[in-house]
Amino acid sequence: MEWFAKRLGISVLLVWIVASIVFLAIHLVPGDPAELLLSQGGAAPDPAIVEDLRDQLGLNRPVLEQYLHSMANLLRGDLGNSLMDGAPIAGEIATRLPRTLELIGAAALISVLIGVSTGTLAAVAAGGPFDRVASALAGLGLSVPVFVIGTLAILGFAQTLRWVPAGGFVAFSQDPVQHLIMLAMPAGTIAVGLSSTLFRVTRSAVLEVTMRDHVRTARSKGLSFRRILTRHILRNALIPVVTVLALNLGTLLGGTVLVEYVFNWPGLSGLLVDAVNARDYPAVVGVVLVISILFVTLNFVVDMLYAVLDPRVRHG
Amino acid sequence: MRRLPWVSAGAVGLIILAAVLAPHIGLADPVGMDVAHRLAGPSPTHPLGQDEYGRDVLSRLLWGARTSLGIAFAAAAISCVIGTILGVVGGYVRGIAELLTVRSMDVVLCFPPLLLALLVVTLLGPGASTLVPVLVIVYLPSFTRVAYAGVLSVRGHEYVTAMKVLGAGRLRIMTRTILPNIAGPILVQFSLAAASAVVLESGLSFLGLGVVPPAPSWGLMIGAARGTMVQAPLLLLWPCLALTVTILAMNALCDGLRDMLDPHPAARRVSWFSRFRRRAPTAPLARVEPDTVLDVRGLSVAIGDPAEGRYAVRDVSFQVKAGETLAIVGESGSGKSLMSLSAIGMAPAGVEVAAGTSGMDGADLLALAPGELRKLLGDRIAMIFQDPGSSLNPVHRVGAQIAEAIRAHRPVSAAEARERAVAMLRNVGIPDPERRARAYPHELSGGMRQRVMIAMAIANGPRLLIADEPTTALDVTIQAQVLDLLAALKRDGGLALLFITHSLPVVAEIADRVAVMYAGEILEEGPTAEIFAKPRHPYTAALLRSAPQDDGPAPEGISGTVPVPGDLPAGCVFAPRCDKRIEICDETRPSLFRIGPGRSSRCLRWASL
Amino acid sequence: MSECLIRGEGMSRSFHGGGFFRRGRSIQAVSDVSISLSRGEAVGLVGESGSGKSTIGRLMLGLMPLSGGRILFDGDDLAVLDEKRRGALRRRMQMVFQDPYSSLDPRRTVGSQVEDGLSIHGIVPRGERGARVAELLAQVGLEPHHAARTPHQFSGGQRQRVAIARALATNPDFLVADEPVSALDVSVQAQVMALLADLRSRLGLAMLFISHDLPVVRHLCDRVVVLYLGRVMEEGPVSEVLRAPHHPYTRALLSAAPSLHAESRRERVVLRGEPPSPANPPSGCVFRTRCPHAIEACAAQPPPLEPREAPGHRVACIRHDIG
Ligand SMILES: Nc1ncnc2c1ncn2[C@@H]1O[C@H](COP(=O)(O)OP(=O)(O)OP(=O)(O)O)[C@@H](O)[C@H]1O
Ligand code: SF4
Ligand code: SF4
Ligand SMILES: [Mg+2]
Repeated sequence: MEWFAKRLGISVLLVWIVASIVFLAIHLVPGDPAELLLSQGGAAPDPAIVEDLRDQLGLNRPVLEQYLHSMANLLRGDLGNSLMDGAPIAGEIATRLPRTLELIGAAALISVLIGVSTGTLAAVAAGGPFDRVASALAGLGLSVPVFVIGTLAILGFAQTLRWVPAGGFVAFSQDPVQHLIMLAMPAGTIAVGLSSTLFRVTRSAVLEVTMRDHVRTARSKGLSFRRILTRHILRNALIPVVTVLALNLGTLLGGTVLVEYVFNWPGLSGLLVDAVNARDYPAVVGVVLVISILFVTLNFVVDMLYAVLDPRVRHG
Repeated sequence: MRRLPWVSAGAVGLIILAAVLAPHIGLADPVGMDVAHRLAGPSPTHPLGQDEYGRDVLSRLLWGARTSLGIAFAAAAISCVIGTILGVVGGYVRGIAELLTVRSMDVVLCFPPLLLALLVVTLLGPGASTLVPVLVIVYLPSFTRVAYAGVLSVRGHEYVTAMKVLGAGRLRIMTRTILPNIAGPILVQFSLAAASAVVLESGLSFLGLGVVPPAPSWGLMIGAARGTMVQAPLLLLWPCLALTVTILAMNALCDGLRDMLDPHPAARRVSWFSRFRRRAPTAPLARVEPDTVLDVRGLSVAIGDPAEGRYAVRDVSFQVKAGETLAIVGESGSGKSLMSLSAIGMAPAGVEVAAGTSGMDGADLLALAPGELRKLLGDRIAMIFQDPGSSLNPVHRVGAQIAEAIRAHRPVSAAEARERAVAMLRNVGIPDPERRARAYPHELSGGMRQRVMIAMAIANGPRLLIADEPTTALDVTIQAQVLDLLAALKRDGGLALLFITHSLPVVAEIADRVAVMYAGEILEEGPTAEIFAKPRHPYTAALLRSAPQDDGPAPEGISGTVPVPGDLPAGCVFAPRCDKRIEICDETRPSLFRIGPGRSSRCLRWASL
Repeated sequence: MSECLIRGEGMSRSFHGGGFFRRGRSIQAVSDVSISLSRGEAVGLVGESGSGKSTIGRLMLGLMPLSGGRILFDGDDLAVLDEKRRGALRRRMQMVFQDPYSSLDPRRTVGSQVEDGLSIHGIVPRGERGARVAELLAQVGLEPHHAARTPHQFSGGQRQRVAIARALATNPDFLVADEPVSALDVSVQAQVMALLADLRSRLGLAMLFISHDLPVVRHLCDRVVVLYLGRVMEEGPVSEVLRAPHHPYTRALLSAAPSLHAESRRERVVLRGEPPSPANPPSGCVFRTRCPHAIEACAAQPPPLEPREAPGHRVACIRHDIG
């Protein structure tokens, strides 16, 4: 319990630090932030517009006041208004966030199912034909960038074979089947890299645990192969698998941004990419903040999972 | 250590070379447009065709490599240097320096890399000059962490303390002792970061937020070719291929480097899973006296393929009777563990039983089908091992681990098995067994864990208990407790005990008979008291003279070392270290001479000793 | 007794739980231990795991600060010396470690590791160092050509010889040997012990020999100190302590060690239970939870270390009647 409270405290602290850094980032870069945001290819921006933006972003007020103001707003769930259309950013994020979460969830689920099961099989038959083929495929899967897979998938499955639409989104409530079909391609694309990673770590973790003394003990007890594999090998091998999953969360979230863009999935990243292009600073900050908080939260969840899996962690 | 991965290193080298030479090999201008020939296919002047503005694709690919790799390597190199310094200083100096260097990096890790990059790009605008600092920030924490973790593990080694004792300053220790020992992982991290930076750069460029057009970049090319992918799919394929091949080569190089630096490369390949395919039955069993529990004859065990002739155990025979303790004693590496594990069909990965039988109740354990053998293991045959810490599964409660052993062989309910487990814990003298049954192994002391192991081993009332150095890791006062416990079990249950140890005093304490093992052979066997009083093999005598005692003369020791399997002397295996050696000892490998009732010796000169 | 080289007076050391969040739970690893060695003297420090043996060794080498007490080397208090003087003292005290696999840098040749001491303290001019390294290796029974090898080419016993050569490079007066033979086979143990004994008498080294095994120290040491839970239980001349141990713990330790010959086997005193946690030691005599002679008075206060008949023999037990 003490351990849980401590982890929770650290996570809250991290969220606060992240929020502070994101809000202060604009003051950390050298030069006048408003001018910087408006500068386009070296041409000096119109002073009147700069003044306007400064006003809009509240950059005229003392830094401390700005900071406290934005922190207070954040606590109320207010992320400010977009520079492009003046709409509240929090509202826009609220509609798009569930779609991103769905995509991440689906991708993670596929990856864990495929990666852990094939990894285990490959380890059990280490050196055999299945292991060789699967290992080679995983090596390839790790090497193709996610946007390349997405683009090639569109070229192949949508444009050439015409099996699926090239992208887009239909709400689940409107047409569940179409929704899932449209989810399949982006989720599958993300899963290529992640399942390859999980395949590898599962394979090597299973092999490593197999060499441990306590597995020899399990054999000496006369347990069945299946029981040794599940209770004594896989159960312990899951610990490094979770560690690696946690380490790859950042890549997963980044990959989601690219994949959403490639498949026109209307999640957070469409908003983000548009905002970066338009240099809509408040919108970028909003999205980055939300994803980062999501990231910290996921890490917290992983930590919890870790404690469930490994009693040694719980006892410090 | 393995060799450098030449193929992948060569591929990465070629790609780098192409990037470096791009401006000097007479390529077309990568930004020169030729709108008339937009989307033209391959031609002699443009071997890979022309893009949507009619620019030469080959030239853009090579110049693109220059951009991508340039940015990636610059960023990886800068973050490598800074990160390593931060990690080493944080890890070695600790205290406040650790907080400033390592812990501060945790904050950077709160941002997914791509997001962090986008945030900075929004502020500074796109372009290569933004990308390098962004990538440096993104990869800094990983280098810091790798260096930090390396330092923490290296500084735990006594050779770092030794440098301190020698009076070396911090700077000297960090640069001369710590850095070389963590260079391997950092090198691997460098190639990982470089590969990952190529991916990130191309991703950003793909989104139009990285390299600014018209400069060539793979990501940009892919992004642009998306618009025309139906008319000109090749235009999309070339940069995709270039990117994938580059990353593939860099990843392969990483893996190769990691394998090369991995101190235990063999562990990745062999596993005991293959052990489930057993060998065919061999020779018929010899007749034995009725109270013999285990009868091992002519056991030979080879490391790797028996055809290579690297035998770790050669022609070993012994019997253990009910209610008797046979001790196997010998120096480290003499084959004690391998021999006893192999004798009950539990040979570890990478070794193979080449000959011999192991009889128990009329069956040959070495010829049994896996399922049949499994019925005996944990039921009639049980084992305890040297390191009770690693021999218990850390993630299950000890009570559950004992109950599991019971349920594997007895048709009892889970609740009943749990009750029996508690009863077993009480039997082996664990105080408060109900509570201890719910403990995890790490919550128990070493002595307690060994008691748990013993409880688990005797849970089904085995006839044979194999104990492989069960007290070596324990303190003497705890060792005395465990030896007493084992003696009581043997006395009360008629258990046959095969006790493996390297300590002669322990043998004297508990064994009825002793077999002295050396270089895979049993050199002398017989009743403990007789052998200790009158050894008939020079090795036994030398071992006895080596043991420290609380009275008598100073221990003497034996010069030289145990020979390794596959590199044995031609004659007597002990000849190079023997003080009684004569010429013939170097030529003739002695056989086991029966020298009296229940006694045998493998010395040619046994009669004159 | 000849002049005192190094003296630890009332040494104490506690460790804290560590981390920013868990303060307070501290472990008393060593409390109020005094040990002194004169030139050429070997003292055995014996105790089970967790009794604070290695901590005392490190404290006496100045590798970690004391929580209480002081250490005098040649009359100088280590704690108050300036950096330069301490650096010079470094040269005069050396250490040999337990694990021969972890105590040598796997990436450097043994020659360069033996040379470290020479170059750090500038003892021998650069050009003559090779010869000196060969000489040092010869002193521990190795060949000059071994200098070019890396540690993994040596057996455990040979590594321990290299480690000893490295320690001897600076011509120390004081050597701490922290279980130098525990990880070795008995056949090799005896040889390394013989080497240490020989070096000690030839070079006049003062040696603190740490071990968990009483019989091991018998032939090397003049005196022995028996530790339990960071406190001295008994100390005195080796022959005296082994022949007539007074403290119940020393007796148990001796009788627990298995013996080769049935005739000479002592009556077995098997201690109940396990050592208590140093974070929560018993009141009074720390051994009382396992002591077969414990009486009520043992819980009152820690028994002082009091002299017994033989000169230099001191015992921390209130029961004089059980001797
Ligand atoms: N799985 C294995 N693969 C290859 N070689 C092995 C394997 N296990 C043991 N060996 C080798 O076989 C020989 C005998 O090893 P074994 O562990 O049986 O010795 P031991 O007498 O039990 O030693 P110790 O006292 O150190 O436990 C050694 O040379 C060892 O290196
Ligand atoms: S056979 Fe010869 S070398 Fe071997 S032990 Fe006997 S005397 Fe020594
Ligand atoms: S003081 Fe008491 S408890 Fe301590 S050793 Fe002596 S008799 Fe035992
Ligand atoms: Mg062994």
